[in-house]
Amino acid sequence: MTLLSDTRYLFVRYLQKLVRNPILLFFSLFQPIIFMVFFTQVLSALGNFPGLLPGNVSYTEFATAGILMQNAFGSALQSGTSIVLDIDTGFLQKMLVTPVSRYAILLGRLLSDAFRVVVQSAIILALGFALGVYVTTGVVGILLIFFTIAFFGLAWSGISLALGMKTRSSETVFAIGGFITFPLLFLSSALFPFAYLPEWIQTASTFNPISYAVNAVRALMITGYDWGTILQAWGVIALIAVVTLGATLYQFRKVIS
Amino acid sequence: MSDIITVNNLVMVYADGTKAVDDISFSVKEGEFFGFLGPNGAGKSTTIKILTTLLKKTSGSVTVAGLDLDKNAKEIRKLIGVQSQDTAVDGDLTGIENLMLQGHLQQISGTELRKRASELLKLVEIEKVANKRARNYSGGMKKRLDLATALVHRPKLLFLDEPTTGLDPQSRAAIWAYLAKLNKEESTTIFLTTQYMEEADKLCRQLEIIDVGKIVAQGSPAELKQQVGADSIRLSLENCVRDKLKAKELIRTLVGVTDVLDSEECLTVYAKNAGLLIADIVRAFDSSNIRLASVSFSSPTLDDVFLKHTGKRIRTEELVKTPSILFGGRGR
Repeated sequence: MTLLSDTRYLFVRYLQKLVRNPILLFFSLFQPIIFMVFFTQVLSALGNFPGLLPGNVSYTEFATAGILMQNAFGSALQSGTSIVLDIDTGFLQKMLVTPVSRYAILLGRLLSDAFRVVVQSAIILALGFALGVYVTTGVVGILLIFFTIAFFGLAWSGISLALGMKTRSSETVFAIGGFITFPLLFLSSALFPFAYLPEWIQTASTFNPISYAVNAVRALMITGYDWGTILQAWGVIALIAVVTLGATLYQFRKVIS
Repeated sequence: MSDIITVNNLVMVYADGTKAVDDISFSVKEGEFFGFLGPNGAGKSTTIKILTTLLKKTSGSVTVAGLDLDKNAKEIRKLIGVQSQDTAVDGDLTGIENLMLQGHLQQISGTELRKRASELLKLVEIEKVANKRARNYSGGMKKRLDLATALVHRPKLLFLDEPTTGLDPQSRAAIWAYLAKLNKEESTTIFLTTQYMEEADKLCRQLEIIDVGKIVAQGSPAELKQQVGADSIRLSLENCVRDKLKAKELIRTLVGVTDVLDSEECLTVYAKNAGLLIADIVRAFDSSNIRLASVSFSSPTLDDVFLKHTGKRIRTEELVKTPSILFGGRGR
């Protein structure tokens, strides 16, 4: 099956490119690490009020889920710039004159994005462990966390890939990515306990897909296998993925025809 | 020998209404070194994009390697190699990794691919930098690597879109040598587009000259030059605007003149025996008070062929021209 082998070769190509640009990797990890180490200290006093945070965990433990998700969509939003680069340099065209399976070009890209986000999440989680974070559900829970994050990352890669192919401009992808990151993060339950958010933010938060994904990861870390929350999150992510990856597919078809 | 490419009534109109290719027909024989010669914007790249399955034609019929372009795009892609105008190598990967990736995409792998890759690195003389990232290669090295990646699956038919544009004369000569060798020793059919007369003249055995989407002349370089039929004399006059018409009339009365055309310097005269004619021209001008600024003559070139068919020259050497203006070559 050439789709599988082609996907593998292109997956490897994207990872090679990533590893050879360590500065890019460093900077996309820089922000979550700063959050993990410093931001959590600023708000560490929240942990002193019993009942404020679920399960009476430390603020660091509470915020880890939010920071993991922040990293996921931060990285995913860079995905579109790589396809713009391939279009600009003519490399995409070079691939298209070979018998390579067209969908492998897209799949290789998406899988490498997912892989990248899992590796980055592992690094952040390891840092969390060093800071005293504990995952209640153990190894299986960690795998489920990674799955949720990778799935979430894929859905967000779809946005930047579609944007990248539509606008053919890395700057636009970066600008729009940067523009939506913080509002979405702060209008969610990612960094603050839902019950203590102002009412209008609570309302916004219930429409914010990030809240759902964060709640699922947080449940796996703190409360346990809360399948209601987890399945709800997967459902929301799946809905987003259908829209964003659908848009990506539509733009990709336009680019390759 | 049979035709490896046939093109009948090919038309390409872009979405914005630009007619890039206007009803052209031609064929390329197997084993041929075929050239598409024309200035920027003539329709060369558009034609190559259609033939290499990248662009959907508006109308017309095309077969490549005996296969219908509309129905067999995927099979055609296995048989052709393409080097596009932009040098598309992945700068993050090394030379050898670029070759291996391209091989994998062409469904070659294992020892066969490794052998082929090292063979190609040797052919284009980049084996010394094979393990360095392509980002750090010089322009000429990148072009050579790009050419090597187009050859990895031993294509029957190789498309090259301006393979030497932007290269220094040395790298250009090196690429010419590989291409000639490839065509001769591996009998690869080569379809090349170029805006360089010299390149077309030196490499191609069959040429189509294209301008504003139409084929204006075809034949071997020798045939085409023979059609011009004569040496060319380029005349520039001190007052071209005033004297041009009168000069033309005078020249037409002289024996041996086949044609007189307007050209960049002022007039280009075609004649059987240019050396002898120059004296006659000078005498005729002298008695009619037309002052000559300069005279040069040459055997016919493809540039003359192009001028004959389109009324203009292919302007490509802008880079060479700029300094002569800087040093006051024109104004006196």
